[in-house]
Amino acid sequence: MNVFMAILIPLIFLLTFLYAARKKVKLFDCFTQGVTGAIPLIVSIFPYIVAVSMLSAVFTASGLETWLTQCLSPVFNACGVPTQIAPLLLVKPLSGSGSIAVLSDILQTYGVDSYIARCACVAYGSSETIFYIGAVYFAGLQRKKFTLTLWICVGCYLFSVVVCCLLCRFM
Amino acid sequence: MNVLFYTVMLLCTAIMLVTSPQTFLSTLLGAASKSATLCISLLATYSVWLGLMQVWQACGLSQKLSRLLRPISKRFFHVDDTQTLDAITMNLSVNVLGISGAATPYGIQAAKLLDKTDEAEYASCMLFALNATSIQLIPTSIIGVRTALGSATPADIVLPTIIVSFLSTFLACLLVRLFIPPKSKRISTEKRRLLQKNKGACI
Repeated sequence: MNVFMAILIPLIFLLTFLYAARKKVKLFDCFTQGVTGAIPLIVSIFPYIVAVSMLSAVFTASGLETWLTQCLSPVFNACGVPTQIAPLLLVKPLSGSGSIAVLSDILQTYGVDSYIARCACVAYGSSETIFYIGAVYFAGLQRKKFTLTLWICVGCYLFSVVVCCLLCRFM
Repeated sequence: MNVLFYTVMLLCTAIMLVTSPQTFLSTLLGAASKSATLCISLLATYSVWLGLMQVWQACGLSQKLSRLLRPISKRFFHVDDTQTLDAITMNLSVNVLGISGAATPYGIQAAKLLDKTDEAEYASCMLFALNATSIQLIPTSIIGVRTALGSATPADIVLPTIIVSFLSTFLACLLVRLFIPPKSKRISTEKRRLLQKNKGACI
């Protein structure tokens, strides 16, 4: 699987260049033109990335995260979710790089192949950084129903966590 | 997003004022500098993928791909504009392949283009729901982490991951469809109702 994934990306590039040569596209001009578009894109999402990462940093530093983890652990327990993965569940919707650190921490503490570790892996793999994506994709666009969608996604995320811990018991 | 930002920021600032006022500013600055570094590395990834995408567009590859998937995405998003559908198709297919970083520029482009169409409300919510519930097929980064930490069976989480992400994506789509119905569907049901009324009147 890893070999396949490693080959995939260079293969996509190679096929693209071959196809472009056949179509007689000016490769250099085209590529540089595309890259130009990256700068305004970054400029437009920068403020939102800063805001979200500040939010998650303050959330962790103030101790609100640990407090929330403690408060929520009876709820998690009732749903069959191990309390040990709660920090991961709280960080994941906010930041991708932060949650991979939490994930490897959990894996090292409880052993890579333990039930808790597998729950954490599945929960990590089957979800996305909801608030980060929301901030970046819809930076500056005003939509009334957007908040509703955000809550729908958060709800689905919690649902998926419960299902994932159930599945990990059997698989 | 505003409500969330307000509540969390207010609470955290108040807590830190009491517990550790001297670390507050350094926390904020640390986060900002981290995101500045992140943006530079994102700039690098985006330039590579946007450059490739421009080549795709110039030689007609992305149009071909989206034409292939157009019947599905048209029905799903209720959008007719070709350029918008192109961006959506690229975003979703890259997402499925799990090339993180590449999906975001296409997604942002799709969201910006969607905002101009008349189905903006429904379609952009649907796009967000699909992106936020993960439609990735193979969780490559986790397999990598597990292999690095010496797992005996690094890939045994693949099947549950696929099942769970499929379930959550399906649920999210269903809920979006229920709560934010597309306009064209609404119009067609109204038309049908009108037609039935007319029929009743004729009889």
